Amino acid sequence: MSSVLTRSGYADPATSLNFKTGSWRTLRPVHKHATAPCHGACPAGEDQQAWLAKIQENDVRAAWETLVNINPMPAITGRVCPHPCETACNRGQLDQPIAIHNLERWLGDEAIANDWPYPNVPAIDSTRPKVAVIGAGPGGLSAAYHLTRRGYRVTILEALTEAGGLLKSAIPMTRLPRDVLDAEISRVLEVGIDLQLRQRLGRDFQIDELGDEYAAVFLGIGCQKSREWSVGGAVPADLHEGLHLLKGWVDHLSMPEAERVVVHGGGNTAVDLCRIMKRKGAAEVTLITASGLPGPDTEPDDVLNVVPRELDEALEEGVVIIPHATIQRLIMRGSRVVGVEMVSLKKLPGKSGRKERIAFEGTERVVATDMVVPCIGEVVDPEGVADLLHGGSYLRARDPFGHLEDHPNVFVGGDARGDRGTVSAAIGDGRLAAAAIDSYLSDTPLPDLTPRPPIPYAGLNLHYYEKKARVPVPKVPPERRTDDLEIEGAVAGAAAIAEAHRCFSCGNCLACDNCWTLCPDNAVIKTAQLASDGSHYLFDYDFCKGCGICATECPCGYIEMIAEP
Amino acid sequence: MTEIKDAQRLEELRRKHGRLAPDLSAAAEPSPNDDVRSRQPRFCGLESGHRACQGCGEALGARLVSETAGPDVMLSNATGCLEVFTTPYPQSAWRVPFVHSLFENAAAVASGMEAALKAKGKRTKVIAQGGDGGTYDIGFQALSGMLERYHNVLYVCYDNEAYMNTGIQRSGSTPHAASTTTSPAGQERMGKRHLKKDLLSIIAAHHVPYAASASVAFPVDVRRKVRRAMDVEGPTFLAIHSPCPLGWGHDGALTIQIARLAVECGLYPMVEFERGEVVSVMPIRDPKPVTEYLKVQNRYRHLFNDKDPRAREEREHLQALADFNIARYNLKGVGEDVMDTDGLDTVRRGGPVQVM
Ligand SMILES: Cc1cc2nc3c(=O)[nH]c(=O)nc-3n(C[C@H](O)[C@H](O)[C@H](O)COP(=O)(O)OP(=O)(O)OC[C@H]3O[C@@H](n4cnc5c(N)ncnc54)[C@H](O)[C@@H]3O)c2cc1C
Ligand SMILES: Cc1ncc(C[n+]2csc(CCOP(=O)(O)OP(=O)(O)O)c2C)c(N)n1
Ligand code: SF4
Ligand code: SF4
Ligand code: SF4
Ligand code: SF4
Ligand SMILES: [Mg+2]
Repeated sequence: MSSVLTRSGYADPATSLNFKTGSWRTLRPVHKHATAPCHGACPAGEDQQAWLAKIQENDVRAAWETLVNINPMPAITGRVCPHPCETACNRGQLDQPIAIHNLERWLGDEAIANDWPYPNVPAIDSTRPKVAVIGAGPGGLSAAYHLTRRGYRVTILEALTEAGGLLKSAIPMTRLPRDVLDAEISRVLEVGIDLQLRQRLGRDFQIDELGDEYAAVFLGIGCQKSREWSVGGAVPADLHEGLHLLKGWVDHLSMPEAERVVVHGGGNTAVDLCRIMKRKGAAEVTLITASGLPGPDTEPDDVLNVVPRELDEALEEGVVIIPHATIQRLIMRGSRVVGVEMVSLKKLPGKSGRKERIAFEGTERVVATDMVVPCIGEVVDPEGVADLLHGGSYLRARDPFGHLEDHPNVFVGGDARGDRGTVSAAIGDGRLAAAAIDSYLSDTPLPDLTPRPPIPYAGLNLHYYEKKARVPVPKVPPERRTDDLEIEGAVAGAAAIAEAHRCFSCGNCLACDNCWTLCPDNAVIKTAQLASDGSHYLFDYDFCKGCGICATECPCGYIEMIAEP
Repeated sequence: MTEIKDAQRLEELRRKHGRLAPDLSAAAEPSPNDDVRSRQPRFCGLESGHRACQGCGEALGARLVSETAGPDVMLSNATGCLEVFTTPYPQSAWRVPFVHSLFENAAAVASGMEAALKAKGKRTKVIAQGGDGGTYDIGFQALSGMLERYHNVLYVCYDNEAYMNTGIQRSGSTPHAASTTTSPAGQERMGKRHLKKDLLSIIAAHHVPYAASASVAFPVDVRRKVRRAMDVEGPTFLAIHSPCPLGWGHDGALTIQIARLAVECGLYPMVEFERGEVVSVMPIRDPKPVTEYLKVQNRYRHLFNDKDPRAREEREHLQALADFNIARYNLKGVGEDVMDTDGLDTVRRGGPVQVM
């Protein structure tokens, strides 16, 4: 034996390696990539855990690239999405959820500031089929982006003079500054999308005519027609409809004046409008909504559908919200409204099992007002799509991909479906429709949308995490808010990276080394390269005895013991 | 020429006894992971293929110690599980030189090895290791002598609180009220009648430069303590609390959880002594009731027999012992500390947060 032991030398391999203790095993550990709750909740389909992991690795650009492989508009969604991801975040059960939307916004802003090119964009190939996208809202832009990345030549046909849909025409600047919006949209278009403005379907062209040039069509036309509103047949003569007022405000800062305003409805339009009215000097702004406010007594599907932060800010600014109520009578003086009679109600399961609105007798009360503004939602404008509506209000799609009955090459996504309602949902629809169009045109199967199994809070080993408060977010105080100053401030740089480190990495490897450190049998092997499952760890089944320590001690629930095959 | 003769003789003996030499040639069936195995970013002192039970705390403790201390070390090992499961003839799971002589003399052998290395001008550190039986009881005299003669040796005791290798007999380290085959719970007694020997204080009384307790539940802390002990010129001692799924009666998957609970309830205090004085403890952020630790182990099952009035009494006794430890060593932490029981095992992407 000539081997010399020095601090840099290794001894000869141990002969016990000839004894394969793996044969003792009855259970074996396997890596199991589960669906983190944030991912499961994101309407855009983002895997936040995946991009947070890149930030944790200090690779901010790779984080953005991972993100925009799914959602091309993080600077926008980071500002306007109601972030159901944060409501679902497992970390919320330990202290506070990860500030996902703030970090998403940071990545988007970094990409704009540094002009990072979108990843995986092929050069335009003039032999590939052309696809028409109608409507340049978030749904249409997302479909066009994903189709371009799949190698199709895409033209967007948009009725208005600018791209952006409601992002541009309705969402107030205090929430979505226009320089950010314009920068992100123009960067998306620059991947090679042909945008043709002032092209209204039904007026300037028909769907049938597109067939000559385009192999498939995506409809991202949103909902442009206000629902009819009246109370027992009565309509005030000077009726202003909410979305119309908002669009006027966003376009040229005009807003009718009134001392006391009642807004009827729920959702972002209603809350945005209330806040602007209040800021423009209305003494009393009252929102009457059939939905409930977030709280223990309100079922999740009954909560006022608005970005949570916006609700808080509206209350902070003095908007009065009357939940679980509706207007049952207008008190008119001539053709002018001077008050409304409200009644309490709740959505309760009726005989059919479906929820019905039940008004409670004896709860009627009167509110004096100078103006009533309905914000009860919009439906699809039938112009150009009447055949596809089948007499309904929406373009009802068969599945998440946006397939329409009887029209194999026409797809729909976003608000026009009638079952969406957020920017991120429209973006998610655009991505799935692009996949479906690709599968239709290349005659390949649709992607499998079966989710990975979820990972609940109880599936984590919390011993390995420390409590740490969520990053504070700067905010303009109510008295300093203006018409266009963005209210929520940025989380950036070191603070953002530290916030990303709060992520548990639910259901995916955190590369924490626990399994490698704690295996009594040295049967977890760490690799420099990524293993096939994306982690850096392999089980050496020649020696693993199946004790289960690694599975118990994996902080993120990434290891599961299964019966030995 | 004698060399060839010896080899032939060895071969004959092996055939006679049905034991062939391990085949280390390239033709021997390689493990598919051998390549990455040899490129692991840490030294491996204790290899796979050892025959410890599933989830053995002692195997984990020894792996952590040898990989932290190695490769420039030599081991002297007492008889016991660790010796038996790592070196079944003709195999060895060690990647460092290893000597096994007797149950009672690991420290004496280590003293000799150290003296010999010193005489040859070598700096290789000697580590003696043994179970609690080999340390608290039968090897204690040799250990005390080694400390007193001031040999430059690290002695590591893998404390699984009974003579496990021969079938779970009680030792001086077995905790009060634990049931073993020689302190069975029953009509007469509620498990072990006597108390766990306070060995660490006895070691400390030898005025050694460093003596500490550790636990496999806190590998970062084990490594730090091993490095600390290795750095000292002179006798040092480490007791590592090492659950034994077989002897304690728990699922091997819970080894770390149980070891952690032992520390968090106060029954196994994490203390460091230098020259007989306590210099540092691991504060418990949020002390757990001892029952949380006891109820997951069969060796304490009799303490949860509602019909036996002694059960409650013994549970209270163990709680009082834990409280005594907490008070004695001032283990109740104030606020959150990165070095306390909750802070120490914190991880982030890339490994443990604590780098010491
Ligand atoms: C005031 C307000 C605030 C909101 N706030 C939020 C929020 O904070 N967070 C959130 O997630 N969501 C919010 N929403 C909802 C969100 O804006 C929509 O869900 C989202 O914009 C839907 O995207 P889309 O692409 O489906 O449709 P749209 O954004 O409506 O875009 C449709 C596009 O199609 C064009 N188009 C329509 N018809 C035709 C035609 N016939 N021919 C050619 N082009 C046509 C339109 O001009 C438009 O550009 C808000 C909505 C409003 C009204
Ligand atoms: C002098 C002597 N007495 C008894 C034995 C039998 N024997 C071998 S190992 C062992 C128990 C070892 O217990 P411990 O030191 O606690 O180590 P463990 O196996 O628990 O790790 C005993 C009693 C022996 N080998 N030598
Ligand atoms: S799009 Fe919305 S739900 Fe998805 S990650 Fe961003 S904030 Fe969260
Ligand atoms: S902790 Fe991270 S992975 Fe888990 S739900 Fe929250 S953001 Fe997603
Ligand atoms: S800790 Fe090691 S031996 Fe135990 S199941 Fe995991 S890999 Fe196998
Ligand atoms: S224990 Fe840590 S390193 Fe091992 S699989 Fe789980 S997260 Fe990854
Ligand atoms: Mg023992």
